[in-house]
Amino acid sequence: MKLGTRRRSLLALGAVAPVAAALGACGNQPGGPSGDGATAWGLTGGAEEAMRASFEAWNEANPDDQITAEYFANDAYKEKIRTAIGSGNAPTLVFGWAGATLADYVANDQVVDVTESTSALTERLLPSVAQVGMVDGKVYAVPNNQSQPVVLYHNNEVLEAAGTQVPTTWSELLAAVEALKGADVIPIALAGQSVWPELMWISYLADRVGGEAAFQRVLDGEAGAWSHPDMLRAAQMITELVDAGAFGDGFASVVADAGADHALVSTGKAGMILQGSWIYPEFLTNAPDLVAGGNLLFSTFPVVEDGAGDPTSIVGNPANYWSITASASEADQGTAADYLSEAVYDEEHIDSLLAIGAVPPVAGLEDRIAQEDDPAFLDFTYAMVRDAAHFELSWDQAIPADQAQELLNNLSRLFLGEITAEEFAEAMDATL
Amino acid sequence: MAAPALILFGVFAIVPLFGVAALSFVHWDGLGAITWAGFDNWTDAASDPVSRNALWLTVKLTVLCVLFQAPVSLLLGVFLAGRQRYRALLATLFFLPLLFSSAAVAITFTALLDPNFGAGSALDLPLLAQNWLGDPQLALYVVVFVIGWCFIPFHTLIYQAGTRQIPRELYEASRMDGAGPVQQFFHITLPMLKYTIVTSTTLMTVGSLTYFDLIFVLTGGGPGNATRVLPLDMYLTGFRSYDMGRASVLALVLVIVGLAVSLGLNRITGASRMESQSEGS
Amino acid sequence: MALQRNEHRPNVVGAAFAWLWLAVIILPIYYIFITSLRPREDYYAENPLSWPANPTLTAYQRVLENDFLRFFANSVVVTAASVAVTLAVSVMAAYVVVRSRDGFGRNLFRVALLGIAIPIQAAIIPVYYLIVQLGLYDTLAALILPSIAFSIPLTLLILTSFLREIPESLFESMRMDGATEWRILLRLVVPLARPALATVGVYQALQVWNGFLFPLVLTQSAETRVLPLSLWSFQGQFGVDVPAVLAAVVLSILPMLAAYILARRQLVSGLTAGFGK
Repeated sequence: MKLGTRRRSLLALGAVAPVAAALGACGNQPGGPSGDGATAWGLTGGAEEAMRASFEAWNEANPDDQITAEYFANDAYKEKIRTAIGSGNAPTLVFGWAGATLADYVANDQVVDVTESTSALTERLLPSVAQVGMVDGKVYAVPNNQSQPVVLYHNNEVLEAAGTQVPTTWSELLAAVEALKGADVIPIALAGQSVWPELMWISYLADRVGGEAAFQRVLDGEAGAWSHPDMLRAAQMITELVDAGAFGDGFASVVADAGADHALVSTGKAGMILQGSWIYPEFLTNAPDLVAGGNLLFSTFPVVEDGAGDPTSIVGNPANYWSITASASEADQGTAADYLSEAVYDEEHIDSLLAIGAVPPVAGLEDRIAQEDDPAFLDFTYAMVRDAAHFELSWDQAIPADQAQELLNNLSRLFLGEITAEEFAEAMDATL
Repeated sequence: MAAPALILFGVFAIVPLFGVAALSFVHWDGLGAITWAGFDNWTDAASDPVSRNALWLTVKLTVLCVLFQAPVSLLLGVFLAGRQRYRALLATLFFLPLLFSSAAVAITFTALLDPNFGAGSALDLPLLAQNWLGDPQLALYVVVFVIGWCFIPFHTLIYQAGTRQIPRELYEASRMDGAGPVQQFFHITLPMLKYTIVTSTTLMTVGSLTYFDLIFVLTGGGPGNATRVLPLDMYLTGFRSYDMGRASVLALVLVIVGLAVSLGLNRITGASRMESQSEGS
Repeated sequence: MALQRNEHRPNVVGAAFAWLWLAVIILPIYYIFITSLRPREDYYAENPLSWPANPTLTAYQRVLENDFLRFFANSVVVTAASVAVTLAVSVMAAYVVVRSRDGFGRNLFRVALLGIAIPIQAAIIPVYYLIVQLGLYDTLAALILPSIAFSIPLTLLILTSFLREIPESLFESMRMDGATEWRILLRLVVPLARPALATVGVYQALQVWNGFLFPLVLTQSAETRVLPLSLWSFQGQFGVDVPAVLAAVVLSILPMLAAYILARRQLVSGLTAGFGK
């Protein structure tokens, strides 16, 4: 037995050294996965088709500077990309949401400054969207797909049957909830199991109550930012909605990935849903009759009567972004930069985005949108983004990952009624 | 001759364990520099209500799993040990869940238990139309049930085989003494299945302690933290919050609890028997 | 060997319970099957447990068009390679444990005993960085090597307890004939251990085939995706297309089902022989 123990501890000593060396070497391994040219990782779903088409067109026109693209599911991608970058296995073009993650990449010299190489592209963009890709006044990320504002969708057949209409203010929203409840439908569909759709509610409420400043305090790391009266009020309004039965009894088991939330609206089991503009194509597939009959309505988030927020402000993803990794070879970086300035939002790319109901954040698209088959929704979201006083990035992307996890965690408990608004504020203040 | 096994096991199982131990004493976000943390991660984890809750949930899940799976598998296993034709057919069907991956089971039950489009709405039974996975009070029990659905077949098999090894003379003798089936079950079947019970329970316990895949796909730890067991908490801390140090602390706790349980259970019976055999050889 | 009592007095409690459990087992399987045949547009409209009004195989078509066969092939390669290597190295190690006269064999056995309790989850972070450093990230080898490592302890234990039952005299007589250790292993141990090898091989094959965490963390691209992970990503990718997701579930268990139908006796007796002792 003694012998065994000694042998084991010797083994232990021998084992630790290579691990420590391996871990230490992680940050500075150059080269990327292989030297076979530039690579890119994108997301499945959404504007995947437009992205695929864009890369195919580029590869056809530039046989010597091919870009190999791969596509991942949302959650899987978010988990992989960071470890891939940390371990020197990142693709040349990194797909992202900007925000805190981009700032982190910049702080660690993982992505390159593309201010000059992409100036031809950034000039054509809507400023509020281009702004998000900048850190300390330099461009580190450029948008690559459509703007994704969060929109309130309504099934008008359900609203009419309940004798109510699209709410434009907070009190109208509460009244609509009562009316829909009376008509025995779920007033508002919410994918509570996925938690992130709950973020849309608190982001919009905080903005309508306290304006841009409410969340800016969190971003600035100001002590007590979450227990500020405006933020606290927004959290209390969530509790008020839940207590009023606005989301029904079963929202906590509804999964957004499987589309079970908007299916409730398509099938008339729920009256409204607050979701990203990216779900609009799903309505076209699942409820063509509803859309064709003009009974799928969409609106901006209701105004809070005594709130300080600008009613044109929106929440969501200004776009998704491409960044170029610093660990890629110079040739690959060059290829990627050429792709960004020449191919992103070229005529074909814009066409393929519009064709799937996605509006790219490029200035002066009004006339092109008018030519599309179903311009109403495109026009609505384009105007929304163009005229927005402020486009607030999804909170879980805007703040560092560990804080974002705490936020999702506490928010889901707030929605479940396990904690009060005050307890929510207190728990979140502790993360600052 | 043992070298290949030792090398493979050493490099991919033992070395990573020391890696985990080393990581638990550093701050690292997977991206930036690694800095020394001392015992910070340990004290942080010990005082974090989410992690403490995760540990408690893991213990609760394990106990509930054993309490659910053991009696059901025992009953079914003993029953299936009979030789009638239809029992053989039942045994064939009972085996089926073993063929499913956790991901497949979780995806199926997510759809089946959906309060709006699932089986509850189909049968129009209010009892079944509960908000199964969305109610923090219910979700853990649903998870226990689904885990049982996956693993009871396996343990049933073990009990079936164990029961068939009991000499039938014992039953005949007891029948001569006028014992009924219930008495036989308690006085012959149960005592004779002692080692089977230990083996099966050990596997159940160690399995439940480390349950990850199914819960990850089924609930993601929610609603709230209602099913955020230790392995899931570790995964989310490491791969979502990018706090590798804290995640490593949780991983080590998992190892320690797992080792303690299996050593404890082995000490009581199985291993000491095996070890004494090996000493004799 | 039959339990006579059952023929005299029917076990009513057991029977009732068994039929109840049958319903519990069959309902989800029935649900998977009928839903996979349901047209996508009818999924939200029809009663989820009713037979589809217009059964169709289009969900299967959508799945097969999405590289399903490649994921399938990846799973086959990973499972076959992992099980083959695990069995080979474990039978060698088990032979050492059984035959060694010094403490080495006993310590090896103890390590394996402890190894069973090491959860895969606990080691996953360092395994990830180890695989990255070895340049194996996102390859099938990245799945095979750790799968083997974590299969060895249990395999070793089961094979060891089986090999202990080989009579000493057989080893002695081969040694008398001047056989080397390797020859004894190949000519005596492996043939005699065939049932145990089949048992534990089947068990580990199920484990690897259905494994989720290693593929989740150690691979990323569609080229290296295995079945369980593909189910998960189908769920994200197909979104509301539940019939397609469940059709993928059906396709993913088909090989295991075929194996079960063809080799049921072997599989069941194997599994029980391994753990029923």
